[in-house]
Amino acid sequence: MANTKKFSDRKKDERAAAYIFTTPAMILLVAFLVVPMIYTVYYSVFKYQVMRPDDIAFVGMDNYAKLFKDMDFWQSLKNTFYFTVIVVPVQCVLALALALLVSKRFRGVSIFRTMYFSPQLTSMVVISVLWTVLYNSNPNTGLINSILVGLGMQPINFLTNAKTAMNAIIFMSAWQGAGYQMMIFLAGLQGIPTEQYEASAVDGATKWQQFWNITLPNLKGTIKYVVMITMIQAMKLFTQPYVMTQGGPRNATKTMVYYIYTQGFQKGNFGYACSVAAVFFVIVVAMSLILQRITNAE
Amino acid sequence: MKKVVSLLLASAMALSLAACGGSGSSGSSAPAGGADASSGTTTEAAAPAADASSSEAVSISIWQPTDKEAVENWWVEKINAWNSEHPDIQVSREAIDRSDSYAYDNKVATAVTSNDLPDILFVDGPQVSYYAANGIIVPITDYFPDTSDFAESTVAQCTYDGQLYAISATESSVAFYYNKDMLKECGVDTDDLDSRTLENPITWSEMAEIAEKCTTDSYVGTHIVMDHGEGLPYALEPMYISEGKDYISEDGTTAEGFVNSDEAVKTTAFIANFIAKGQANVDPITDEFLNKACATMIGGSWEVATLEANADFDWGVTYYPVADDTKKAVSPCGDWSAAVTRDCDNVEAAGQFLQWLMGTENVASYAAAIAKPATRATAYDDPAMADYKDGPRALLVEQLQNTAVPRPRTPSYATFSTDYAEAMTNILAEAASNGTVDEAYIKEELDGVSTKFTEDYTTYYQ
Repeated sequence: MANTKKFSDRKKDERAAAYIFTTPAMILLVAFLVVPMIYTVYYSVFKYQVMRPDDIAFVGMDNYAKLFKDMDFWQSLKNTFYFTVIVVPVQCVLALALALLVSKRFRGVSIFRTMYFSPQLTSMVVISVLWTVLYNSNPNTGLINSILVGLGMQPINFLTNAKTAMNAIIFMSAWQGAGYQMMIFLAGLQGIPTEQYEASAVDGATKWQQFWNITLPNLKGTIKYVVMITMIQAMKLFTQPYVMTQGGPRNATKTMVYYIYTQGFQKGNFGYACSVAAVFFVIVVAMSLILQRITNAE
Repeated sequence: MKKVVSLLLASAMALSLAACGGSGSSGSSAPAGGADASSGTTTEAAAPAADASSSEAVSISIWQPTDKEAVENWWVEKINAWNSEHPDIQVSREAIDRSDSYAYDNKVATAVTSNDLPDILFVDGPQVSYYAANGIIVPITDYFPDTSDFAESTVAQCTYDGQLYAISATESSVAFYYNKDMLKECGVDTDDLDSRTLENPITWSEMAEIAEKCTTDSYVGTHIVMDHGEGLPYALEPMYISEGKDYISEDGTTAEGFVNSDEAVKTTAFIANFIAKGQANVDPITDEFLNKACATMIGGSWEVATLEANADFDWGVTYYPVADDTKKAVSPCGDWSAAVTRDCDNVEAAGQFLQWLMGTENVASYAAAIAKPATRATAYDDPAMADYKDGPRALLVEQLQNTAVPRPRTPSYATFSTDYAEAMTNILAEAASNGTVDEAYIKEELDGVSTKFTEDYTTYYQ
């Protein structure tokens, strides 16, 4: 009797400690995430021009009705999905490949690790500006086009052609982002017991068989995590189109977040921007849940 | 090896931090003179206030985008001078980093929501009507009953609903710049260009001819994309007006039949044609003209100072090109103007300060510091403005005083600007990818601009 009481007391203490330790994070979370989210939903049912906060009018579901008829909204949603669907596998495979390359222990491996990781240390804005110049359509200024022309090919309007602009952004985003995922994969790879490889080598397994039957299954948790964060990050794509293409050409790179920004800040349609943000939030949460379901089911 | 890595990481981080610091410090160091005053006023002002006991010192705050060193120094000097002469009205200025054209606007939008606007706010010319219509800024007509000394264009831009809402010390213009060395190389008569007058400016077809002749393997004929934001509607508007239709109706209520009129489609097609034919770059590099990547450019008045300081080639500038059909001479104008906000507790004091700030002598020295044409006619008699007596600067002032037309004065300008810039970016990109100009597509895009304008205007201002 006395023992169980003590036990439950200790449990209570632990619980109290847990609350105390999580309080700072919780306060921040509530202040900067939960409250703004509630406000977003609240303002999404108002006509609210940001420059006239005294003239807010309740409009019910008008903003949502308008949104479903808004071609720019659907286009932005489509672009965001396209970006996500392409960039997530590309970036994850690239990251895994890089991680496998640098997981070996050899002289100078850290230099490679640092090199692959270094784009992560540079601001996305800086990288976007750099790539805008690299992609420039004029072979006299754009490095990539000057190489193409040097090889006897036609220059490509990477960022000013609706067909290539998003792919150009996908390529540079995957290049920029892969380093971070590589680091996580690297940690995962180092956690795989070497005995498994040794044992399989004794049994005569090829490198390829080892990869499929030892590396991948052991990385399952890491892969889940990496895919999830890459997807959420991809859905939030903003900086690259903002700096490089301003959503163009022909809306080809206009993403959800960029659309929310132009509506809310550039044009001052705050209420409408909030309704877009609210719908977008639901979509991201739904996608995360679906992805979790899929990966858990496996 | 780990040490090497951590060293690399540390240096990379330091670099990225330094990069952030660069822009940040220019914002925070700038107001040193001014911001000191704001924190200092409360304590310093307490002493005289104790003596006077009846009235405490009024403090006036100013927001303005960060500018180059000469301008920042000008402000420190002027504010110190004012503050020492007027212990009862203490002024402080905060220089806000603009980063791009919208970062400053975003800060203002946030301050509007939280009622934290400064007393005096610098507003870009075409935004004056947007802010005025929404009651963000208040009329200052009482403090400037006589504006006859100010350029008509700036007074027009700063007037909304018959009231003066802002006042500017400087103006801007856009003209046709040409690289004489390149033009001669391509067989263009530069003496003819040099000799043009306001009555006899170059026409669109002459501009097109020069652009065609001067497109070579190493440079393009001309430059028309100032940027992908406000630079597009700003620099290109005169073409539309010269052809016969402005973007928006005179009363600022509709774009239908204006930005999407036949004249506007024709004008847009003319512009897009340079891109389609490879005579202008759709994504020009920064300082394309200075870097000798284009032979001519539709460029801002501020380029004169840049070129004088840096160009290693012979260049000239002439008036903004006119449409062949009408020969109507039009030029852009508009610059950042000072306005008093609705959150200002002491409009009287702010107005008094603005009167002093916009006096002839201050306008002249400010214009000289920022290297822009002054708005006051009498400012040109000041020795500080001696550069404007002849040469390219005199030409720009002449153009400004005779053909300048302000941007549309409509509360929906922010929406219009965004949508027009987006439509133009699309149109020019299509022209670049296809190598031809599709007028049906231009019409479709401009129709979209008009529709969105109507929607914004009817939602908020009708």
